[in-house]
Amino acid sequence: MTSEDPRSLSPTPETDPRASEAPEPTAPAAPPPAEPFLRVEGVGPQAPAPEVLSFAVPDLSALAEPPADETRRRKLLAVLAVLLVALCGVVYLFVRYLNRPEPLPELLPVPVEVNYPPHFVFAFYDVNAPLGVALSPDGKRVYVTESEGDRLIKMFDTQGNLIRAFAPPRTTAAERAPVYIAVDARGRVFVSDRLQHAIFVFDAEGNYLDAILGPDLTLSEYIAKHTGQTPDPGAFAYDIFEPEVHYRTPDGDERTLPRPDAPTWAPLGVSFDPSGRLIVTDVAREQHRVLVFPAEVIAADDWTDFEPEVFAFGAFGEGEGQFQFPNKAVVDALGRFIVSDGNNGRLSVWSPEGEWLFVTGTGGGGAGLNLPRGLALDERQRLHVVDAVGQVVRVYDFASEEPAFLFTFGTMGSLKGQFNYPNDIAIDATGRLYITDRANDRVQVWSY
Amino acid sequence: MRWIRWMVPLLVVGLLVSLAGMAYANGGPHGGYTPTTDACAGCHRAHTAQGPNLLTAASTYELCMSCHGASATGADTNVADGVYTDRQGGGEGTVNAPLLGGGFVNYQSATVTSIHDVDGTQSAAWGFGVARGSTANLPGPLTCGSCHDPHGSNNYRIIREEIAGTTVTVDQVDESAKDYTVEQWPDNVTNACVACHGAYHVTRANSGEDNSDDGSGNADYGGDISTYAHRVDMSYQYGSNADPETTGYGGYTLPLTASKYVACQTCHLPHGTAATMTTLATGPNTGDSALLRLDNRGVCEVCHQK
Repeated sequence: MTSEDPRSLSPTPETDPRASEAPEPTAPAAPPPAEPFLRVEGVGPQAPAPEVLSFAVPDLSALAEPPADETRRRKLLAVLAVLLVALCGVVYLFVRYLNRPEPLPELLPVPVEVNYPPHFVFAFYDVNAPLGVALSPDGKRVYVTESEGDRLIKMFDTQGNLIRAFAPPRTTAAERAPVYIAVDARGRVFVSDRLQHAIFVFDAEGNYLDAILGPDLTLSEYIAKHTGQTPDPGAFAYDIFEPEVHYRTPDGDERTLPRPDAPTWAPLGVSFDPSGRLIVTDVAREQHRVLVFPAEVIAADDWTDFEPEVFAFGAFGEGEGQFQFPNKAVVDALGRFIVSDGNNGRLSVWSPEGEWLFVTGTGGGGAGLNLPRGLALDERQRLHVVDAVGQVVRVYDFASEEPAFLFTFGTMGSLKGQFNYPNDIAIDATGRLYITDRANDRVQVWSY
Repeated sequence: MRWIRWMVPLLVVGLLVSLAGMAYANGGPHGGYTPTTDACAGCHRAHTAQGPNLLTAASTYELCMSCHGASATGADTNVADGVYTDRQGGGEGTVNAPLLGGGFVNYQSATVTSIHDVDGTQSAAWGFGVARGSTANLPGPLTCGSCHDPHGSNNYRIIREEIAGTTVTVDQVDESAKDYTVEQWPDNVTNACVACHGAYHVTRANSGEDNSDDGSGNADYGGDISTYAHRVDMSYQYGSNADPETTGYGGYTLPLTASKYVACQTCHLPHGTAATMTTLATGPNTGDSALLRLDNRGVCEVCHQK
């Protein structure tokens, strides 16, 4: 490449007097010039060299010259280093999000307390007046109860595609009323049934396993004690409207037994606390209360000797330490029981020992509840309360001793993000919220 | 004039106290309001209402069903399935006993065959200011609130004291003895029905006789397709009739009022019924069970036992 080459970065005759002073006559013939990458009128191989050299070739010699530009070079390197670190951080967050999706503030290495309402994502509709909702332990299955139509329990994937529908065996739609639903750490599905006065238990795929007929009675236990044989899981059925229970012997014979005595409870809300205890709200006539079943009994494979030491608290009424149709109870990180006291329009908070502490969510303003139903705590101890008549979800901070109202989301209506008698809520580890929207016949999905 | 300074506030306080005392103490959120009650916001919005009467929803039916639906998440009276979900009366009472009014979706574990359609559509009532056998539109859509007063009334079943513009008097049953599954009807319980179905309020003696002129002060709409109609508000005793309430027939019974009178509700369930009609009993409206309590014409046989 010679000085005639327009792409040359060598000193030009004009800028370097040495070039004009001593041209080398014995220099080998230059090869034909290559096609210039940019042809300008009057500039090119045929143009005189000075004109070619006057073409705006930037003088980058300063970069190569250390003394005066060393500082600049170092600054540039520093900037590049910072950019490299930032790129690594973004790649780290991206990879971590792929492995475990979480809201952005929770992905950051330094905790950032940002309280902003979630946004509506989408809704799925293959449900009839849905009431209860719960998630499988891995968050990949959504279980929903229906209160109209066939009154089934439906299992969806997280995109709202129906996987399977199931119901207690030997019951018709008119004989069952599934309401609230909870999933234990093993993936078993617990469904309260208001007409049957029972909690039906299914495996993760919806196969019927057993029924809890009272605080100290299961159907498998009833059959085992009356037959002397341990029945196979699910090989029996109960319907409160029928005079007999049906069971299948190990030999495969169908037999019946007289139905157990009328139930003494009316289970409504069901949930699990982090330690695996089953928490049930009981709305039996004028004895409204909360029942806590020990984890070790509930987690057992065999319930044919079902004698849990159930811990209970609460009474019927409007006063302190009383409930009117408690719909659901959850346990916060401080071990407190938080109960949605439906017809009293408030949240009732109890100590881990079952001592009444205080109520909250009363009065006017955004914090005031109308008809609280479903509850769910997220990992930051934000309590989400579904207000069925208020047609919103109200969110409170329960991370400290004294809870505080944070915000409300949703409005009344049938458009996207609007509610028409919502009832229950479930939250997954990624900050996705599933909310049953009863009178709109859909489940809404929101996200932080 | 100095006395006016304290008399006026005293009168205001007295008025408030007297008004507070007028609030009915029916069950749940249906009464017992105080001057600073928070109950209003449970169902109403002053500035952001979505339906008539400042309701939080466009549908009265859905509002009622949020407590009284099949899930019964806020009440034991499940009017969708027509059952009282708990032990009525406590103790050893029956679980899931049938409600006095029947059901709107199911009744006694079967799908209903006729209902009072209270989903808010415009409805026509048989005999509403017209001759028997004819219908006329009601003043407004039929809803739960057409017959029940959600704010409470002078009877525990919160039946309105005015229905379709007609004053309705239904005597109170002792509040402490209220029961949603065992009839405790006052003799004037029929008034709740005839506010709309006035042409059927035949009270003249001798049902089988010409009663086009009621003679008892009740409206005679004239032009009836039939001058003969079964009387109500009368004793069940006629000829060899059995007591339908205690004796019945073939295991079936029918309820009477406190003085053993026959009321509309003796044969009909106001919410809905799952009775089935076959062949001769189907009538002109196939499948319509006309809110009758028993299959076909079982309600006739319980008394008359032919």
